[in-house]
Amino acid sequence: MVRTAGKTRREKLYRYYDYSLLFLILFLVCFGLVMIYSTSSYNAQRLHGDATYYLSRQALLGGAGILIMLFVSKIDYRAYIRKLPIIKIKPVTVLYFLCVILQIYVILFGEEIKGAKRWIEVGSLGSFQPSELSKIAVILFTAYIVNLAPRRLDKIWGFLRVAVFIAPLLGLVIAENFSTGLIIGLIFVAICFVASKKKAYFIISGIVMGALASLMIFFVDFRSERFDAWLNVETHEKGYQILQGLYAIASGGIFGKGLGESMQKLGFIPESHNDMIFSVICEELGLFGAVALILLFILLIWRIFVIAINAPDLFGGLIATGVLIHIASQVLINIAVVTSTIPSTGIPLPFISYGGSSLMVILFEMGIVLSISNQIKAQR
Amino acid sequence: MAKNRTFNRRNILIIIVVILLAATGLTGKLVYLIIFKSEDYAARAKALHERERPIKAERGSIYDINGVEIATNKPVCTISVIHSQIKEPERVIKVLSEELGLSEAAVRKRVEKYTSIERIKSNVNKEIADRIREYKLDGVMVDEDYKRYYPYGSLASKVIGFTGSDNQGVIGLEVKYEDYLKGINGTILTLTTAYGVEIENAAEDRITPQPGNDLYLSLDVNIQKYAEQAAYKVMEAKSADNVKLIVMNPKNGELYAMVNAPEFDLNNPYNLINEIARDYIGETLSSEKLHELLNGMWRNACISDTYEPGSAFKIVTSTAAFEEDVLKLDDRFFCPGYKRVEDRIIRCHKAGGHGSQSFVEGIKNSCNPVFMEVGARVGVEKTYEYYKKLGLFSRTGVDIPGEANSIMHNIDNIGAVELATMAFGQSFQITPLQLLTAASAIINGGTLVTPHFGIEIRSPEGRTVKTLKYDTTENVVSKETSETMKQLLEAVVTDGTGRRAYLPGFRVGGKTATSEKLPRRTGKYISSFIGFAPADDPQVIALVLIDEPVGIYYGGTIAAPVIADLFDNILPYMGIEAKYTEEELKKYQVGTFVVPDFIGKTKKEMKDLLKIYDFGDIYSLGDGDIVTEQFPLPGDSVNRESGLVLYY
Repeated sequence: MVRTAGKTRREKLYRYYDYSLLFLILFLVCFGLVMIYSTSSYNAQRLHGDATYYLSRQALLGGAGILIMLFVSKIDYRAYIRKLPIIKIKPVTVLYFLCVILQIYVILFGEEIKGAKRWIEVGSLGSFQPSELSKIAVILFTAYIVNLAPRRLDKIWGFLRVAVFIAPLLGLVIAENFSTGLIIGLIFVAICFVASKKKAYFIISGIVMGALASLMIFFVDFRSERFDAWLNVETHEKGYQILQGLYAIASGGIFGKGLGESMQKLGFIPESHNDMIFSVICEELGLFGAVALILLFILLIWRIFVIAINAPDLFGGLIATGVLIHIASQVLINIAVVTSTIPSTGIPLPFISYGGSSLMVILFEMGIVLSISNQIKAQR
Repeated sequence: MAKNRTFNRRNILIIIVVILLAATGLTGKLVYLIIFKSEDYAARAKALHERERPIKAERGSIYDINGVEIATNKPVCTISVIHSQIKEPERVIKVLSEELGLSEAAVRKRVEKYTSIERIKSNVNKEIADRIREYKLDGVMVDEDYKRYYPYGSLASKVIGFTGSDNQGVIGLEVKYEDYLKGINGTILTLTTAYGVEIENAAEDRITPQPGNDLYLSLDVNIQKYAEQAAYKVMEAKSADNVKLIVMNPKNGELYAMVNAPEFDLNNPYNLINEIARDYIGETLSSEKLHELLNGMWRNACISDTYEPGSAFKIVTSTAAFEEDVLKLDDRFFCPGYKRVEDRIIRCHKAGGHGSQSFVEGIKNSCNPVFMEVGARVGVEKTYEYYKKLGLFSRTGVDIPGEANSIMHNIDNIGAVELATMAFGQSFQITPLQLLTAASAIINGGTLVTPHFGIEIRSPEGRTVKTLKYDTTENVVSKETSETMKQLLEAVVTDGTGRRAYLPGFRVGGKTATSEKLPRRTGKYISSFIGFAPADDPQVIALVLIDEPVGIYYGGTIAAPVIADLFDNILPYMGIEAKYTEEELKKYQVGTFVVPDFIGKTKKEMKDLLKIYDFGDIYSLGDGDIVTEQFPLPGDSVNRESGLVLYY
């Protein structure tokens, strides 16, 4: 009974669980709720007659998300690539195809909000954005495919083989929402990059991707308009939202106006609780608050990095890397947009921006990362 | 399950390094925005959030010479609604339409209009506004404001002027002294949301408004009232187009009254007065036409319109001749009823002519040929020199906007004919005020004064801010000539064309004029009279112009009595006592006597007694035979011809 003996020996080892990561997550979620209340109460009162309209919805979904996270963190992440008992299919495959179907559905029948079809109506809970779910699917599915034969990634053909698997979903997401597609693409490339021993083809394909992206920018009308607005943020009429954000950042000063004291949130920045929330954080909490928040995100990323390099196997490491890229890219792109460093694109700030699907998905991912941390064995 | 190899870890590290670099870069951008861009962006953001709401400064009041308020402010309120703050629209509509007397539909339209702030009604009475405030309706704003108010309505309307919607002066003294009267508006700096709604309890910067200074005038409400009465009386009696009447202190140029009848109501300056409106009954006036009529109504003709002064100008011609020493009082002239000048025959107003006469008789008769002769003696150049000295080539500098200047011949174009007509006040035009100012200089001993109303500017607390100074030019006429002119002009009134201005007890001097309006032969005249009193030491000078009288139009007949009427009222008021000569006492039965005691006398006795005394009307009351009571009381001193009341 070697197996039993092995199990006994394993039991003696300390089961690691990253509590500091858990604390960071809880802190960020709570901070996000505070900022959502601060930014949305005026508009909530104005539009819905209830100052806590947005806060209560976000708090409900955040609470649910935390419970899901804690539950997921206790499931061994390797279970996702084990065949399910009866239907004999791996959960990761199910998730992948579910996402493909949802993406097709949303393109055909999605609910249109502000000129874009990105949402599926789900009763009283509001609407659900399937592209958020696709992020988990891509992380897990790419990690799974790469993990099947990691050596092949040393050659470009191996990379392209993985790409072929991912392409249908990636294509559907890009067709529907460019910025989310960009994040998903980044996740996929980063996972492959980590698995690969050779780097040359990444540089080449990086250049090719860059060229494709710029073509997308210049040949799709509203994107080139955004590009113009970015170049002339102070004069272009489409630069209004960004300019208002810049006003907010600049008027905050070093220590900020104080929590709740933002002027720009009073209708000057449209939907200040969404993608532009970071600018209000700068206005209310100043440079100190903004840098503190950036440091918190870096700390969070650092914890995920530690988990990624200590993961018991390549699959765990790749998943952690995917999540890390997901969080890091959203934080960086969001701040870059708000500070007018890059042309505007709708990427929410993880944990903080208002949006149920986004928060739930991130917390789900955090659950997976915590589950990976839980599989790390440390000597007592 | 594949292993997590070292190169995998190194790759993750590469990614982390890239992320850290990007994060550092973005932090740098953030620092740049907050430290280096903040001044510019933050200022622009502030400008976006702040709304300046002005608080109107209270406009200074205007007082007459006795400190009577003639222009002041009434507190009024402006009622507005803020759409987004209204909680009970139906109640707001009901209350506002009831309290403000507006139709429900009109109020509803404004209340339901999606604007940040909508004015419902301005100039609302304070009591009504206070009542509306009592309802404590959300979204209804009551702002206090001031409305200009003129207690005397139409009194001296074209002099005082009125203010517009922003409390700024529109015409008259209100414009001239705008800078002193207006004060400095304050502001409340409030923060507003993007929807223009003010944020409550936001730190407000408040700059307190500074009320305007008060203006003190030489205008005397009582004299103005007397003058207006006299002007209206003659305007109605003669169905005249309008009557202008100016009363001034000839010594210093202080204007006591300036009447432009018909006046208009300063509290409703945009309503056409009946005199104008009656011509347009049943017509719908275009806005340009209405504007034109209003401008006509507001026009201060005493200073803005020019006319041919006519015979009154003979004062100036004589003065020039005396100054040049080309005329003696006993110089003799002959008037055959006309005078031939070059190839023209210029007629005298008396068809048969005045015959042989001295200069004194000539001025008493206002004989044109005499003055043509006198004018010719002075000559063109000297004539113009004296015109200039007497201020006839320049505006008088009166402190009312819109003053016109004279219209004179170019000196090079004056031939004998022009000179002759100018000598009796024709072929050129001046404003009534220019004539009055020139005549003042002639009778006050030779000082050309600046006519004016403004005396002093005082702060609301009563401190003198500024005493207004006006230019005077001394010795434009010699003292001797001035004395001569006063005597001559008194003679005109005592026994010349101006005899209807004669006022027993007062020495009045003056000159009549009848100017035929241009174009000639249309039967339209301006009858005028310029008079002053007392003739030996003039305290007051007045000029009346009756424009287009119907019927008799001679200045001596219709204009002179207006001045007599005015002087009769204002000279005692001004503290100038009547001093009767023996002759006057007899002729006009003026003087006083002591009332004797009639009580106890029978009716029969009274009949005889009353023959002795100079009572006017006798009123007998009661059925008795013996006087029980009398009024005036015994021992009272009364004027001759006073009434007597007796109770039997």
